[in-house]
Amino acid sequence: MTTVTKLDTSRFGVIDCATDDVVTFSDGLIGLPDLKEFVIVQHREDSPFRWMQSLDDPAVAFLVVDPGFYAMNYSPEMPESVSSALELTDQVPILVYTICTIPNGNPRGMTLNLAGPVVINAESRRAKQVVLEDESCPVRYNVFADEQSKAA
Amino acid sequence: MLVLTRKVNQSIVIGEGIEVVILEVRGEQVRLGIKAPRDVAVHRKEIFEQIRTENEAATTTKPEDVPE
Repeated sequence: MTTVTKLDTSRFGVIDCATDDVVTFSDGLIGLPDLKEFVIVQHREDSPFRWMQSLDDPAVAFLVVDPGFYAMNYSPEMPESVSSALELTDQVPILVYTICTIPNGNPRGMTLNLAGPVVINAESRRAKQVVLEDESCPVRYNVFADEQSKAA
Repeated sequence: MLVLTRKVNQSIVIGEGIEVVILEVRGEQVRLGIKAPRDVAVHRKEIFEQIRTENEAATTTKPEDVPE
């Protein structure tokens, strides 16, 4: 039986959260181990962006997006420690999101953290932030950099 | 923090199933080998720190700045 609770968030006001929608990070996020439970909220109807809203701290939310939307060749190998921790098999649907950072007032400065993607087992709703030590997966991938250098 | 002194080819065992071996010492660099179960992640500390810093920066992102 799903229960719905109301969460008073700083960005979105009061939102409804169904227990089925909750994504659980048993280790929290990297460096933020106390942020374990989130709900994923649409940004706008037609937008690829979502917000990972924290249930542990209503003032905290992360802007996330499917990394494939901006980084065409992004297909890192899933480390064994992650497949094992999240019980991922070929049959399990997996969601991968990358956390976005936008400097205030500067949308063109948006960067994606390709080194620390969020991997979600879509069935169990358990998740982990993964560490990738790969030069092609930078911590700050500047999405609009190519466009800027072409225009210059 | 537990502090141990090892020589090349000596090891440290952590918990059950994690072993750190000193493979080589050359000048300022130490080469370590790490044996750990598949479900244990092992990474250089710097990358953790970078991701942590970026996570913290990401929390300041505002909805009005999201590209459309």
